Amino acid sequence: MNTDETTLGHIQELRRGTVVLACLIRLRTPDYGYALLESLNSLGILVDANTLYPLLRRLEKQGLLTSEWNTDEARPRKFYRTSPSGDQLATALATDWRRIDDALARLDTGDAR
Amino acid sequence: MTTLTDRYVWAAARTLPETQRAEFGRELRERIGDVIDAHVERGAAPADAEHAALVELGDPLQLASSYIDRPLQLIGPKYFLTWWRLLRLLLVIVVPLAAAGVLLGQLISGADIGEMIGSTIGTALQVAVNLGFWVTLVFAVIERSPGASVPVSTWTPDQLPQPRDDARAGRLGDLIASVVFLTIFAVAIVWQQFGLVWIDGERQPIPMLDPALWSFWLPYFIALLVLEVVFAIVIYLRGWTWLMAALNVLLNLAFTVPALWLFLSGQLFAPEFVEAIGWPWGQASDITVTVIVFLAIGVTVWDIIDGFLKAARNRGGSALGGY
Repeated sequence: MNTDETTLGHIQELRRGTVVLACLIRLRTPDYGYALLESLNSLGILVDANTLYPLLRRLEKQGLLTSEWNTDEARPRKFYRTSPSGDQLATALATDWRRIDDALARLDTGDAR
Repeated sequence: MTTLTDRYVWAAARTLPETQRAEFGRELRERIGDVIDAHVERGAAPADAEHAALVELGDPLQLASSYIDRPLQLIGPKYFLTWWRLLRLLLVIVVPLAAAGVLLGQLISGADIGEMIGSTIGTALQVAVNLGFWVTLVFAVIERSPGASVPVSTWTPDQLPQPRDDARAGRLGDLIASVVFLTIFAVAIVWQQFGLVWIDGERQPIPMLDPALWSFWLPYFIALLVLEVVFAIVIYLRGWTWLMAALNVLLNLAFTVPALWLFLSGQLFAPEFVEAIGWPWGQASDITVTVIVFLAIGVTVWDIIDGFLKAARNRGGSALGGY
């Protein structure tokens, strides 16, 4: 295995949980799968479609997202929205994320040692 | 006319439970439509765009699996260790038992040696393959039943193996030698019943040992051989101790004393056998008898001394030899 592959694997692992957090925050405004994908990627939160669509389904099953079919346009689209429990989870995850970020920063500057 | 999209959706949806198909199909169509639109926006022809979109989505079966969290492995990490431990346990117990059973059956029915080895190995292989298949099948089914809750084997520190030290590795050779020798001995005791003497290339139905001994002594010796196997296994696991050396004395005496007594009082061999091999029993055979008796006693005494020597060596033993 070359170094790039190793790096890529670790980066992927680091990002895995953040995609959930990003979805929960972003979907406080309802949107459909492809639009969500585009907006996350344009923000630099890189996520694969084959990861995102199953993830949306799973989050809905867990009651963290609610969904509604929008048939106003030519093609029906499923709009997802963060549910109240999803919102709570987003807050908890975001807090944890910041805590880890702080801790890493302190480790890096040497304050904690 | 069915489009590529229709075919793709059908291919992916048919592997799902029926209740989820309609909703899944609708979601998938939305996704494919959006990807096609993106390709068209970038300037592709609609037909090419559809093709490209489906290539992007990849294998429909894999896609469907990712949507419903269906495992793409036979046995996942949740059950793998349980499966592996159970399979190993069954293989270690059932295969030797089945092989021994067949071997015994063949011995009793008096099959020739080639047939005996062949059918024993054949049965062992069959049993092993069957065990592997059925155990794995059951676990693969459990892996795919969402509601099933099988108690996953919980690990406790008691299951920790003893570090395999050099002493035990050295004893493995002794164990194998003992078990092989004792098995052959036991088989020979049964086998001799069907005759060991060939005259003009034909096996004579003359037992070597007196058949009257089957009422007590031969079963007694076979039982003793079984005990010796158990003893050899315990030695392998625990090593020699003074207690084991003492038990070794008892086992040796229990075997050699009755055997010598039967031999010397002329009860051991069947009279027909003695006659068939033309052994001048009770005449010029004094030297032969003396040699045999001394050999038997010598082997026994050596075995006893060997036990004590090993026990003595073990006492000074290595840091790991604390058991």
